Amino acid sequence: MASGSERTGVASQFFAGTEDAAIDMTTSEKVVDLLNQAAFMSTDDKLIALKQVQELIINKDPSLLDNFLDEMIAFQTDKSIEVRKFVIGFIEEACKRDSELLLKLIANLNMLLKDESVNVVKKAILTLTHLYKVALQVRASSLNTIAVCGEACWDMVTQMKGDVLALLDSDNDGVRTHAIKFTEALIITLSARTPSSEIPKKQEGDISLDKIPKDHSYIRYDVLAEEGKSALEQLLKFMVHPAISSINLTTALGSLATLARQRPMFMSEVVQAYETLHANLPPTLAKSQVSSVRKNLKLHLVAVLRHPSSLDYHSQISTLLLDLGMAQGDIARCVPTSAPTRKRPRHEPYNEGKRIKMEPTLIEDDEDKEEPAPVVAPKPSSSMGTQSAIDITAEFLLPLLSPENVANLVLISMVYLPDIMPASFQATYTPVESAGTEAQIKHLARLMATQMTAAGLGPGLEQCRGRDEEGKEAEGEAAGDEAASKDPIIIRKVSAVSLGQAISVVGAYKSQVAEETPHAKKLPEPIMPSAQPKVLGSSGRKKVFRLADVVQPLSDSHLEKLTNMAVKRILQSEKAIARSGMSHVRVKLLARLMTQFEGTMKDDMLRFILEDIRGRSDLAFSLLYQEYNQHLDQLPSGSLDSYEHCLFTLLSGLQERPEQRDGLFTKLVLEAPLITQSALEVIRRYCEDESRVYLGMTTLKELILKRPSRQFQYLHVLLDLSSHEKEKVRSTALTFIKRMYEKDHLRDYIEKFALNYMQLLVHPNPPSLLFGVGEDTEVASPWTEETVRQCLYLYLSLLPLNHRLVHELAAVYTEAIADIKRSVLRVIEQPIRGMGMNSPDLLLLVENCPKGAETLVTRCLHILTDKVPPSPDLVERVRDLYHKRVPDVRFLIPVINGLEKKEVIQALPKLIKLNPIVVKEVFNRLLGTQHSEGSSSMSPLTPGELLIALHNIDSTKCDMKSIIKATNLCFGEKNVYTSEVLAVVMQQLMEQNPLPMLLMRTVIQSLTMYPRLGGFVMNVLSRLILKQVWKYPKVWEGFVKCCQRTKPQSYSVLLQLPPSQLAGVFERCPEMREPLLQHVRSFTPHQQAHIPSSIMAILEVNSRMQESQPEPEHMDTMEEREQVSVPIAQVEIPGPAITAPEPAPPVTLTQQEEDEEPMEEGDAGAERLEIATEATAQVEELEDEARATPVPLEKADEPVEEAFTDSASPREQAQEAAEDSNAEPEPGAEAAE
Amino acid sequence: MPSHPLRVAVVCSSNQNRSMEAHNILSKRGFDVRSFGTGTHVKLPGPAPDKPNVYDFKTTYEQMYSDLVRKDKELYTQNGILHMLERNKRIKTRPERFQSCKDQFDLVITCEERVYDQVLEELNSREQETYQPVHVINVDIQDNHEEATLGAFLICELCQCIQHTDDMENEIDELLQEFEEKSSRPFLHTVCFY
Repeated sequence: MASGSERTGVASQFFAGTEDAAIDMTTSEKVVDLLNQAAFMSTDDKLIALKQVQELIINKDPSLLDNFLDEMIAFQTDKSIEVRKFVIGFIEEACKRDSELLLKLIANLNMLLKDESVNVVKKAILTLTHLYKVALQVRASSLNTIAVCGEACWDMVTQMKGDVLALLDSDNDGVRTHAIKFTEALIITLSARTPSSEIPKKQEGDISLDKIPKDHSYIRYDVLAEEGKSALEQLLKFMVHPAISSINLTTALGSLATLARQRPMFMSEVVQAYETLHANLPPTLAKSQVSSVRKNLKLHLVAVLRHPSSLDYHSQISTLLLDLGMAQGDIARCVPTSAPTRKRPRHEPYNEGKRIKMEPTLIEDDEDKEEPAPVVAPKPSSSMGTQSAIDITAEFLLPLLSPENVANLVLISMVYLPDIMPASFQATYTPVESAGTEAQIKHLARLMATQMTAAGLGPGLEQCRGRDEEGKEAEGEAAGDEAASKDPIIIRKVSAVSLGQAISVVGAYKSQVAEETPHAKKLPEPIMPSAQPKVLGSSGRKKVFRLADVVQPLSDSHLEKLTNMAVKRILQSEKAIARSGMSHVRVKLLARLMTQFEGTMKDDMLRFILEDIRGRSDLAFSLLYQEYNQHLDQLPSGSLDSYEHCLFTLLSGLQERPEQRDGLFTKLVLEAPLITQSALEVIRRYCEDESRVYLGMTTLKELILKRPSRQFQYLHVLLDLSSHEKEKVRSTALTFIKRMYEKDHLRDYIEKFALNYMQLLVHPNPPSLLFGVGEDTEVASPWTEETVRQCLYLYLSLLPLNHRLVHELAAVYTEAIADIKRSVLRVIEQPIRGMGMNSPDLLLLVENCPKGAETLVTRCLHILTDKVPPSPDLVERVRDLYHKRVPDVRFLIPVINGLEKKEVIQALPKLIKLNPIVVKEVFNRLLGTQHSEGSSSMSPLTPGELLIALHNIDSTKCDMKSIIKATNLCFGEKNVYTSEVLAVVMQQLMEQNPLPMLLMRTVIQSLTMYPRLGGFVMNVLSRLILKQVWKYPKVWEGFVKCCQRTKPQSYSVLLQLPPSQLAGVFERCPEMREPLLQHVRSFTPHQQAHIPSSIMAILEVNSRMQESQPEPEHMDTMEEREQVSVPIAQVEIPGPAITAPEPAPPVTLTQQEEDEEPMEEGDAGAERLEIATEATAQVEELEDEARATPVPLEKADEPVEEAFTDSASPREQAQEAAEDSNAEPEPGAEAAE
Repeated sequence: MPSHPLRVAVVCSSNQNRSMEAHNILSKRGFDVRSFGTGTHVKLPGPAPDKPNVYDFKTTYEQMYSDLVRKDKELYTQNGILHMLERNKRIKTRPERFQSCKDQFDLVITCEERVYDQVLEELNSREQETYQPVHVINVDIQDNHEEATLGAFLICELCQCIQHTDDMENEIDELLQEFEEKSSRPFLHTVCFY
C-alpha cells in the first residue's frame, strides 16, 4: 500500500505523519538499498533510483532527508552529466523542503556552478535562481543563534550571485540566457513589490525586498536594493551590446517586460531600453532573426502596455508599436481602462524606502540612473521629488566645497574611521582619478547630497517635502504604520545611526563593521563524500592559506594506488576524449606519464594497447618514441631496457595476434627509432610464421634497404632464414635474397655468407650451427641429406645469378666426404640447368675439371645435355679433357652426339663395357630414342652404322659378351631397327672380309624378329656358301643353326653346299638328313638329275644306315615336327616373353632375371668383375665415388637414383630382359665352345 | 549531444495535417514528440471553402472519420481527408490544443506564423515558474498534403540536427542560419521560459 502512494507528495505526507515506525524503517531501508544499488548502476537506472530516493526522503518522509543528504550529494561527482544535474535538482527540492539545509548545500551548489559541463552549469544557475530567494528568506527569518552560519551562507550566495552575473559575459549562449533569467529573478527579488506590481499567483509567497524590514538587524536593505539596481544596470548594459545574439536579446526583452510588469518602478528604464533597441538593432542579426526580435518586441510591448503603470509611457509605446506594424486600433484595445490617477501614488513607498535605505551607502554615484528621462515623462513623476532634492542639495553644496573646507571635512572624519578597513570598502574602492576638477567636485557634491537627502537633511529635501506633501499622505502613513508595528525600537536605533552618518560618511560603517568582525567569516564548505575535517576559523578573520596545513603526505602504497587509478582513468576515458577531439592530448599525456613510472603500469598500458592495437596505434607509437627519447636523454649511461621492453612487447603482441592485414607490424618495425636485438628476434619469429612470411620478409627487406647502418645485421637474419627447415620460409627468403643480391653493396656479404655456409660441408660432421643455437647435437651426428641441403640452398639459388661461384662448389666437392658428394650431385640439377651449357664458367670448370671433381663434372654434363644436344664448345672441352687429362670414357657419354663418327666408333668398345644401364643410355643417345619429343639431336652414326660398328669391334679390345649385349640393345629398338635396316646391315656385313663373328647371330635374330625376311636370309645363306662360310667356325656354326631353323626353306641352300660340308652339317644335326632326302626324292626326275651324285651319296648313305628304322613312323614324326617347325623355333627360346612382344609385367621381369641367373652365372660373375676392373682401370679416386655417387655406373645398385629412370622404365627393362633371353641360346652355345 | 532526448512539440492550427504529419515522422525517428493545434476549433475542409467541418478539440479522430463518412464518403476519400484521419487515429485518439497543455518541452515547432504568434502569446502569458527555457521555431508550411509531407521532413531533419548538437542552446542559432540557407525559407526563432 505504501508503494502505491509513495509517488504522490500529498499522500506521502499523510503517511509520514500517521504511519508507525515500521513504515519508517521500511522507507529508510528502502532508501539505503536504492542508494547502494545506484552506486553501481548505469546512468539511466541510477537516475531512476535516485529519483525514487528523492521522492522518499523529500516527500514521503522528510525526516530522513537529513540522514541521507550526504549520500545523495555524493553523487555530485558522478561522471554522468544527467546525474549531476539531478543532484542540483535534488538540492533545490531539499532546500525548498527544508530551507535550513541551504546552509549545508549551498557550497555544493557552488561547486556545481563551476562544473565543466555547460548543461550542469545551466541547471545550477536555474536552481540558484530559485534558491536565492530561499537564501534570502532564511537570512531574513533566521534567529540570531544561527546567524553566524547564515552569514557565511549568505556571503557565499552573494558571491555566487556575482559569479552568475559575470556569466552574462560567458562564451556560451545558453549560459548567458540562463544568466539573464537569473538576473531577472534577482532584480525582482531585490526590489520591493508595490501595489501596482503584477504578482504571479505561484510566486505570491516569494520573498522580495518589501518583505524585509528596512531595519532588519543584520540584513542591509539598502545594500540589497543597490545590488538589485546594479543587476538591472548590468542587464541593460548587456542588452545594448552590439554583438548580442538574437536569443539573448529575446530573453532580455522578455525579462524587461516581466520586470516592468512586476516592478513598475522600472517602467521608465524598460521603455527606454525598448526604444533604444528598436532604434539600433544589433547589426549582427540575420534577417529572420530581426523579424523574430521585432515580433518579440511587439509582444512584450503589448504586455507592458496592458499594465496600468505604463500609463505614463503610452505615447512612446504606441509609437513603437505603430512602427512595429501594429494597427492603432489594436493598440488602443490593449490599453487598460482603469484610472491612472489611482496608481500614481503607489510609487511612494518605494521611494520612501529608498530614501531610508540610502543612509549607510558609502558610494552612491549612480543615482542619476534612477531618473526617468524627463522627455519621456512630461508629467513630473513622483520620483522627481527625490531627484530634485538631491539636485538642490548638490547645487547648494557645490560652492561650499573649497579645498579648505574639504580638507577640514577629511580631518574631522578621520576620527570616525574604523580600525580596520572594511572588506566592502576595499572591494569597491577605486582611487579618485581627477581630484580637484570641476567634474569631480560636482560628483562629490552629488554624493554628499545623496547622503544628506537620505539622512533627511539639506535644503533640497525641505523644498521637496512641501511639494510632495499631498500625494504622500495616504500611502506614506500606511508604510510608516507598517514599519512601526513591526519593530519600532529598531527604527529608532537606525535613525540614531543615520544621525551619526550625517556627520561622517566613512565613519558610518564603523559600528556595523565592529559588529561583524567577531563573527567567523567563513564561507560554507561543500559536503564532501569523504568527511573532511572542518577547520573552524575561531579568531582570525582570514587564515593565511598554507598548503602544508591542510594536506598530509600520503603513504607510498596509497600514493601508488592513487597514481594507478588516475592513469587507469585516463586510459579508460578513451572514447569520451575522442568525442571531444582531444585524443592527441591524451595520447601525449599517457606517453609522458608512462615513461616516468616503473613496474606493472607499463605492462598494463601495453596490454591495453594490444587489446585494440589498430585503434590505439597512435598511443603505441607515442609511447615508443617517448621511451626512446627517455633513453636519449640519459645517454651515454642510460640503458635501452625500457625502450626495448616496450618495443618487444608490442611486436610480440602483434606477432602472436592472429593474422590481420593491417600492416601494423611493418609500420611499427619501420617506424621504430631503433631495432633492438630482441625486436629482431620477434621479426625473425614473424618471418618464420608460414602464413605471414611474405609480409615479414618484406618488412625485413625494407629494414635492410632503409636502415643502412645496421643493414648487415638485418641481412644476416634474412640469410639465416634461407636455410630454414620450412620450405615456404626458405623459398621466400631465397627470393628476397636473390633480389637483394642485385644490389652491389649487399652482394659481397651475401656471397660470403653463402660460401661460408657451403664451406661447412668440408667438415666430417655437420656443425651445430645448422641445428640452431641450443641444440647441441654436433657430437658425431652424421651428415644427412637434409643438413647438406641446408648448407647449399642459398648457394644454389645464387649460382644462376653468378656463375663464377661454380668453382667454389668444385673446390668444396673435392674435399667433401662421399655422402655429401652424393647429396650435392642430387641437388645441383636445377641451378646447373639454369646456367646453361654456354656459361663460360661452366665450360671453364669442364676444361679444368679439378682432381676429384670428375663425378661432379660428369653430372653437370649429363644435366646439361639431358634435354638438349651439346654445343660444339662443350664438346670441344670434353674431348680435350678426355684426351689430355682424364681418359674416362664416361665423360664422352653426354656429348656423344657431338662427337665425330670416328671418335664414337673408337670409343664404342669402352662404352659397351660399362654398366648395362649406362650402355643403354649411350645407345639411347646414339639412336635418338632417349627423348620422348623425338630426337632433335643428330647422331653421328646411323642405326645401321652402329650395328655394323658393333660387329666390327676388335674382340681383343672387348669381350664378346659385351658386344652381344650391345647388339641386343639394338634389336630391342624395333622401331629403329626395322627389317629394312637389318637387311642393309646384313648385306654389308656379309660383304666384309673376313666375315664378322657375330654375323650369323644377327641374321638369325633378324629372322626371328621379322620372319618375312626368310627369302632374304636364304639369299644371304647362299651367298655365304660362295664365300666359303665353313672357313669361319663360328659363322659356320651359326649357318648350320640357321639352316636348321629355316627348314624346309633352307633345303635348297643345303643342297648347294659341297658334299663334305653337307656331310659336316649332318654330323652336327643328323636329323636333317632324312627330311632333306625326302625333299630330294620329291623332286621330278629331271630335277633329281641335277643333284650331284656325291651329294646324293651323302644323303643316301646315311639313309641306308638308318633303313632299319620304320619309315612311316619316321615320316610321321618328321611331318609332325615340320608342322610345328615355326613354333618350335620360338619354343626353343626360354621364357614366355618371346611370344609376347607386348610389355611383360614386372613380375615376369624378376622371374626372368632369376631364370637368367643360373644360365648366366659366368656372365654375371664376369660382369661384376668387369665393373671392378673398370673402376680400377679408371682414375683410382673415382672408385669411392663410384659407389657413392649416382654416376651411371652405380645405377643398378641405386634404384632411387633418378638420373636415368626416364630411359629405364619397367616396360623397357622388361623388354630388354626379354630380348636378352631371346638371344640366349646363341651365346650359350658360344660359351659352350 | 544533449544527454536526454529532446522533448519536441509540433504545433499547427488544427492538429490534423501538418503537425500530425511531422508527429508521425518524428515519432518514427524516435523523438519524444507531441503535436498540438492552437486554434479554438478543429477545422476540416468541407464541401465548399466557406463551409468547413468544425469540431471541438474533444472530438476524437474516429468520430470525425465516422462523421465525414456519413456526410460524403466519396468526397472525403477523394480529397484525402479520410486517409489523413485514418493516419491520425493511429497516432493518437484526438487532437490536442496547445494552450491546454501544461507539459514542458525543449523545442516547439510551429507550422505557420499565426500559430507561432499564438504559441508565443500563450507561453508569455503563463506565469514563470521554473525558468526552464523552451525554444520556439516557426517553419512555414502550406496546409496541404504535399507540403505537409515536405515540411515534416524538413522539421525532422532540423530536429535531428538539433538533437545531435553538443550544446543545443549554444549552437541552435548557427544551425538555423544554415537551415535557412539550405531550405531558403526564413525561420522565426525565439526562446520562452516556463
